[in-house]
Amino acid sequence: MSTPDTGERRRSSDHRPVITELIDEATVQSIAEDVWTALVGEDEILLPIPGELPADVVSSWVDVVGPWTGTVVLTTGRESAAGLTRALLGDHAPAELEDDDVADAFGEIANVVGGNVKAALPGPSALSLPDVGDAPAVRNPADLCRVDVLWRGEPLSISVQGALPALPFPPSTETTLNQNGVSL
Amino acid sequence: MKILVADDSRVMRQIVIRTLRQAGYDDHDIVEAEDGADALSKVSSEQPDLVLSDWNMPNMTGFECLQAMRSAGSVVPFGFVTSEGSPEMREKAASAGAMFLIAKPFTEDTFREHLDGMLA
Repeated sequence: MSTPDTGERRRSSDHRPVITELIDEATVQSIAEDVWTALVGEDEILLPIPGELPADVVSSWVDVVGPWTGTVVLTTGRESAAGLTRALLGDHAPAELEDDDVADAFGEIANVVGGNVKAALPGPSALSLPDVGDAPAVRNPADLCRVDVLWRGEPLSISVQGALPALPFPPSTETTLNQNGVSL
Repeated sequence: MKILVADDSRVMRQIVIRTLRQAGYDDHDIVEAEDGADALSKVSSEQPDLVLSDWNMPNMTGFECLQAMRSAGSVVPFGFVTSEGSPEMREKAASAGAMFLIAKPFTEDTFREHLDGMLA
């Protein structure tokens, strides 16, 4: 009987660092604070207090590919994402926001946070264009650096999560429960 | 002067333009481009005096746009405004002929620091 090739032997001999060896929560929080002050507004504060995300959330993310490969994911309620979009647009904010406006603004925040996370990691690395939608799953809970904050009293999470090892296919029940730690 | 602002994010183009005004550069003409290919086309058609460009964009990156401009003999001053501010990206930008790299997030002071000699 042949043994299925899980790739375990290759992975164990090819050590790749997990994110907690490379960056800590305080650094991610500091990066996010700088982004909020510069882009959202001078008086905009991110309180390092966990809150329960609402049922209706949206995520934006960028991928980092290099010595560490993974994704920088921002997740918040749709109302908060709309609030961030209005803050970024300032006087140019329309009366009725389109989905494209929110995708553009929330995606750009992920791009800037992700770019600065990438700069803090060993290189060379490549950064993807931002994407917006349902959060990518956490593939390895040990390869995760997550910061939970409140912006204007509303919860927001910033998750720096490894892309390796790949999720088993088909996904197991356990994997589904591990998805990003938020209810989607 | 005419400034070409290239970024695939409309929101970020507005923020760059707003920051230019806040930094005191409010009497310049602004032209927008939505990716590197659009920027390259508008460098020819609009004849800007300065290009401020994002790095990562669909169709053509800002870096590819700069390379194409310099290959075609264009010497228009070019600066990156990008979320990628690592030393290796700054070195790569400089070696391709960029005058500066402003890392996002930026402030109006960052803009003044890099642009005062050119725009003030």
